[in-house]
Amino acid sequence: MEWVGMLPLAALTFLIVLPIIWMISTSFQASEKAYQLTTEWIPSVWHPENYPNALTRWPFPRYFLNSAIISVSVMLGNLIFCTLAGYGLAKYRFPGDKILLLLILSTLMLPMEVTLVPTFLLIHKLGWLNSYKGIAGPILIDAFGVFLMRQFIMRIPSEYIEAARIDGAGEFGILWRIILPQCKPALATLAIFAFRDSWDQFIWPLVAVSADEYRTFPLGLVRFSEDFANPPNEQMAIAVLATIPVVLVFWILQRSLRTGFTLTGLKG
Amino acid sequence: MIKWQINYRLRLMLWGILFISPTICFFIIFKYGPMLWAMWLSFTAYDMVSTPKFIGLYNYSSIFQDPTFIQSLENTLLYIVVAPAAITVVSLGLAMAINTKVRGARIFMSSMFLTNILPILACCLIWRFLFHPHGLVNQLLNPLGFGRIDWLTNQYTAMPAIIIVTVWRFAPYFMLVFLAGLLAIPNEIYEAAAIDGSTGTSRFWYITLPLIAPIMFFIIVVSSLLCARIFLFPYIITGGGPGGATRVLSLLIYETGFFYMKMGRAAAVSVVLFVIVMVLTIIQMRAFAKTEEH
Repeated sequence: MEWVGMLPLAALTFLIVLPIIWMISTSFQASEKAYQLTTEWIPSVWHPENYPNALTRWPFPRYFLNSAIISVSVMLGNLIFCTLAGYGLAKYRFPGDKILLLLILSTLMLPMEVTLVPTFLLIHKLGWLNSYKGIAGPILIDAFGVFLMRQFIMRIPSEYIEAARIDGAGEFGILWRIILPQCKPALATLAIFAFRDSWDQFIWPLVAVSADEYRTFPLGLVRFSEDFANPPNEQMAIAVLATIPVVLVFWILQRSLRTGFTLTGLKG
Repeated sequence: MIKWQINYRLRLMLWGILFISPTICFFIIFKYGPMLWAMWLSFTAYDMVSTPKFIGLYNYSSIFQDPTFIQSLENTLLYIVVAPAAITVVSLGLAMAINTKVRGARIFMSSMFLTNILPILACCLIWRFLFHPHGLVNQLLNPLGFGRIDWLTNQYTAMPAIIIVTVWRFAPYFMLVFLAGLLAIPNEIYEAAAIDGSTGTSRFWYITLPLIAPIMFFIIVVSSLLCARIFLFPYIITGGGPGGATRVLSLLIYETGFFYMKMGRAAAVSVVLFVIVMVLTIIQMRAFAKTEEH
């Protein structure tokens, strides 16, 4: 079974991954090839200049920088505030704690697609349109992160915490020295998903940004693709470049990902 | 020495509240506030230039008589029913394929998951090219006897195209969840069944399926939540066309509010979408609460 099953499974995987292979192959081709009747998988002529061409044709380095700033901010925001809130909900009892948990979880019912118009008006009134804080602000904390950290921290035996209190440790000290070190898988999971989701963010930046210097790369890439003078191959070059950071983040943190994933359930 | 007189429990309570308050404030400002504002806006006509004008239920009666809105609603509902079903079936199949003792299964699994890591915009652009009449999809279907299919410009194939992309992107993701469930089934059950003489198919229907039913239900609901919100796939790949065949509710909200500048009307559509999402979320929370009892 071990080797026999491998061929069909490899074929299936190959079929699934085919579009991604197409993306990479196309990014190295000349522009006429994209609409040809047959696909030339291995380019007869390599065109690596698609990459620097695409990067200079439109201000993609700036777009990527903006995306990076936003994604890192959102990742940090989630890490900090979801952990704080998750810890508070997991290990502290206060009046209304169950209600607050429900309240927080119910914000999952209020995705950006539903609150788009009023969030835009709010950011507009605050004067935050076309700024980093305007883009990152409304997406800084996600209820999923709070839930993830709460579920994870709940599993940490309270005896550690009580013992530390008896020893005179302060509450922040307990969080920093006892809880956090044990949370690494959950923190890694949270970091990955927060980064990935904000890296992909489109509908909110679409609405929150009109000035070119604050565009994130998805916005830039879409406008790039709508300009018919821009070759499809260069679009794929940008797409490949955009994939690299996320793959890197996943690859670095993927060991912790497997532990954290099955603990809680799901995220979109 | 007031410090020592403050009740220990009270002190802890305050710390708990302190830890959670930034997040609560955030959600009030950026989630609940906007939602309430959307509800209020839905009773007004507002174009961002003049002040909002209160018009009562007019937006709601107007959209429910508007064929464009009805079409969007139908598109969204169709999509929410078909895509999650397809995702569930495919991801279960993938999970079962990986769950065999085949060499290198883990590498295959990670490779498939790439479809979920790829930036979603790249995914859209790639598939826009692949569904081109000269694109890869037609190239692969041609030898199988299919003629040229105008995927994105034919009103009957546009939505299926979007569904295909959706399944491609999300099935490997949910495959991991199914895998976790499949791995949790102890081998002894299968061995006992084998002794009783069960075959492969009956093993699946009578053992595997009932045991992963909770996970399956969970995946169906979660993927429908994803699908209710979908925006990028139709926006980039078909632009909501042809003729509005793939215009889903979130697309309509964006167009109404930011293209036609009818913020009140857009807010009304948002409320409708909210109701759909709310129903799905409540179902999900109930399902999750049931699993918490284990």
